[in-house]
Amino acid sequence: MMKENNQHPHSIDQAGPGRLFLVFAGLCAVALPLIVLSAFSNEPESRTGAIIQTPDQTPKHAVDHQAQSLFAAFSQTTTAYMDGSSSDRTLNEYYSRRQYAGSPPFIPHALTARDEKGCLTCHAKGGWAKEFKRYTPVTPHPEKAACRQCHVKPLTEELFVETGWQTVAPPLLGRSHLPGGPPPIPHALQMRENCIACHLGPGAVTPIRVEHPMRGNCRQCHVPETVSTLFKRSTEASESANIQ
Amino acid sequence: MDMNRRSFIKSLALNSALTAAASLFPGVTFGNILKQDLPAGSIAWKKAPCRFCGTGCGLLIGVSENRAVAVKGDPSSSVNKGLCCVKGYHSVQILYGKDRVTKALVKKNNVFVETPIQEALDLIAEKMRSTITAHGKDAVAVYGSGQWSITEGYTASKWFKGCIGTNNVEANARLCMSSAVTGFMTSFGIDEPMGCYEDIDHADVFITWGNNMAEMHPVLFSRMLANRKSKPHVKIIDFATRTTRSSEASDQSILFKPQTDLAVANAICYEIIHNKWVNWDFVNKHVSFHKGKTNIGYGTEDHFAFQDQAETVDFKAYQKFLEDYTPEKVEKISGVTARDIKYMAALYGNPDLKVTSFWCMGMNQHTRGTWINNLVYNIHLLTGKISTPGNSPFSLTGQPSACGTVREVGTLTHALPHGVVTNPKDREMASEIWQVPVENIPAKPTYHTVEMFRALDRGDIRFMWIQVTNPMVTMPNLKRYRDGALKEGRFIVVSEIYPTPTYDVADVVLPSALWIEREGFFGNSERRTQHFEQIVPPPGDAMCITWQMIEVARRMGFEKQFPWPREKYIESLWNEYTRFHDDPRHRMAPYQELKKRPGVQWPFVNGKETRWRFNPQYDPAAKQEGFDFYGNEDHKAWIWIRPYEPAAESPDSEYPFWLNTGRVLEHWHTGSMTRRVPILHQAMPNSYVEIHPDDAIHLGVVNGGKVKIISRRGSIVMTVSINGRGMPPRGMVFVPFFDENYLINEVTLDAFCPISKQPDYKKCAVRLERV
Repeated sequence: MMKENNQHPHSIDQAGPGRLFLVFAGLCAVALPLIVLSAFSNEPESRTGAIIQTPDQTPKHAVDHQAQSLFAAFSQTTTAYMDGSSSDRTLNEYYSRRQYAGSPPFIPHALTARDEKGCLTCHAKGGWAKEFKRYTPVTPHPEKAACRQCHVKPLTEELFVETGWQTVAPPLLGRSHLPGGPPPIPHALQMRENCIACHLGPGAVTPIRVEHPMRGNCRQCHVPETVSTLFKRSTEASESANIQ
Repeated sequence: MDMNRRSFIKSLALNSALTAAASLFPGVTFGNILKQDLPAGSIAWKKAPCRFCGTGCGLLIGVSENRAVAVKGDPSSSVNKGLCCVKGYHSVQILYGKDRVTKALVKKNNVFVETPIQEALDLIAEKMRSTITAHGKDAVAVYGSGQWSITEGYTASKWFKGCIGTNNVEANARLCMSSAVTGFMTSFGIDEPMGCYEDIDHADVFITWGNNMAEMHPVLFSRMLANRKSKPHVKIIDFATRTTRSSEASDQSILFKPQTDLAVANAICYEIIHNKWVNWDFVNKHVSFHKGKTNIGYGTEDHFAFQDQAETVDFKAYQKFLEDYTPEKVEKISGVTARDIKYMAALYGNPDLKVTSFWCMGMNQHTRGTWINNLVYNIHLLTGKISTPGNSPFSLTGQPSACGTVREVGTLTHALPHGVVTNPKDREMASEIWQVPVENIPAKPTYHTVEMFRALDRGDIRFMWIQVTNPMVTMPNLKRYRDGALKEGRFIVVSEIYPTPTYDVADVVLPSALWIEREGFFGNSERRTQHFEQIVPPPGDAMCITWQMIEVARRMGFEKQFPWPREKYIESLWNEYTRFHDDPRHRMAPYQELKKRPGVQWPFVNGKETRWRFNPQYDPAAKQEGFDFYGNEDHKAWIWIRPYEPAAESPDSEYPFWLNTGRVLEHWHTGSMTRRVPILHQAMPNSYVEIHPDDAIHLGVVNGGKVKIISRRGSIVMTVSINGRGMPPRGMVFVPFFDENYLINEVTLDAFCPISKQPDYKKCAVRLERV
């Protein structure tokens, strides 16, 4: 299940599957975040490589929300990275970079390289960014190479004219339908098929970082919640079912 | 409000887990997102084409409590397959700028006064009637847009041409793709691309002609990158006058001097013939050779008139003409090395490679725009690389319905929904469908866009209704036309959504429904018609522009031609309009079909879309074996002899720099919509002038410094950008035109292509002074 914001970010109380890495996780639990950070900066941990599908790996059939990208990411991510955590990325920061939940976030840091490929050298694999002294968030869609088609860098905070924009509240946390049950996926999977990119590792936003990273088949338990209504029999539906 | 509150409580009750949720993240404010009191699960998703460019991406608009709250790319749209660009993802925010026009405004003593909309419509009808009485029918005009929904353009055409009886109907698409139209008409006899976006998945080579797709058609550019990623042999060649993001992403960036694309295209054809790469089987069966007039002028003077004349020639004459265009000779004109010319020719000439060429404003906003369109078709015709998957000369459009409304409905002075006003048969067809006497429809075109604004300045036009466009930012040589619009005795009506420089010159402003605030249709670059329903209500008195025109037309006595009730008029107009295209070459999908799908490509025959025209394998209208270019009477595609001729104004010792203008990723056209989207404005708050670093050193200016850009027509002070978004070569500066605070079009020249009458915004001469 997802962590909640008011919990200690490095608590291992519920980190069942993390037992394999108990020593490492235990360290995290007792250490102050600062120490954890410095430990990571001494031994920068990143995924073994960018999870970009090469032509051979391109799924022949994009089935089940391109599930293959998730499994590829899982098998290519080191266990140490999976267990890594930091407390410096908050939901507040996460949403402050978006106009609505699910919109492409803007680029919050200075840009030097003009080359589009520059983005992916860090954001495809994550890890400690010396330049910014924090962990790099990982893109869930590294196969899309024209990053700045959607992600732009603000040059000012001022507006041309005021806006009356409103949107719905971002998805809430802790939405399990039963106590202790797996929460459903509150957002669309389109372009975010690779759960691992955002939900584990030290670059993840703390409240949405999973505590059981070693379970690679996320959608075995977490299912997309696509409607908020309950099942209702309709005579039309049963009639068409009969015809078929 | 009561309803809203009730449904809110209801949706909460459905998911009781949510009620306590707010307490789960104390202190979280979600940054700048202004929350609606609703859970995410209450969003309903409705399909619509994107509001912005001619790509025509399918969007899913998230709606909650009658407001658009989110956007997703529509995975079932074959255009974008679920991906958007930054403008598309934030497109719904254009609806909610705080300065939205919601009431009719009538200017009294130079101040806008809020007026009941019915009164404003009365005033417009009265003004039109009195202007016609005093000055004649040709003193009233409508100036529309490639952002018009199809029914808007159709209503304007029927009302002005059929009912009032004037051909004073033009649209801003004249400034944007009329060279593409005349290119198609002269080479193929029928408008719009033969191919479709699926060509991108099949091509081995992409050559972009003066076309910065990474910023202007980003979703199609991504599709090219995806193709290259999956097939490592795929190459992208950026052939341009300036280094851009597209150049950086391409395999080869080849720069040419402005206007010399004409010479390079001919040199490529020379090489293809010289190296015996001509596809003779194709050429012998499907191509004929022609020659037009030369030294055709630039249209900078009032009342300029030009009529091209086609002369049939043979291949030998064409081959002889090309002798002036050897790669070595053209290297001297164009600055492109003979080696690079031969390289491009070899890609086009290789029979094993499928080649797609893309272009947009670089080739269309060109004083020889028709010619350069012809010349790129020549390359594809010599090699037979056309109308098959991946082999595609592809003219992109810049507006969401430049094709759907302006080109297909024919909202230009010379055109009708089917054919042209000069053709008696086409006038008869229109008079029958419109139920007006055939004598109503004048047989003579009046003014193309630039000449229409000159006529307004002269006083030949006294009343103009401007809809869905911002000419007081976009007209070249702008000062003359703004001063003209403000003259005594001119009456300007503007249908608007926000205050703009065009709103500023209006006598009446009509608050207008924007995009998904009314039902409509767009038609994109690949002949795809896209329907959208009204998804959210328009604010205040804002009204669909189709209905604004119907209201005024009825006041002028045309109830019989516009009889439909408000619930049914869009569908009724569609059904009437499509009678003009009831032919296998252009048949449109029925209303019900369009409602169901995220767009349908025409010709839509026997329930099937046509992806590649002129090819009998795909196109039911093509009857000849192999290919059938049925637009021309000889059923052949035409290769044209078109020489290189210089630009209307080139740099000299007094004005030593080229001025090139264009666009940026974040803003669309004049920014009247995108600048009201917070992140788009924040990412690109102002326009600037790009200068080559060596020129900057020479001028003594640094990045962020100021220069004055001076032409023979006007001047402007702008901030310098060095090594920024793009880099012009030495001797050129580039300015994006979106910013109404920096009206670069006061500096540009109103020279145009004599055949298409489309102005050239990419080339005039300026000098720079450090400020």
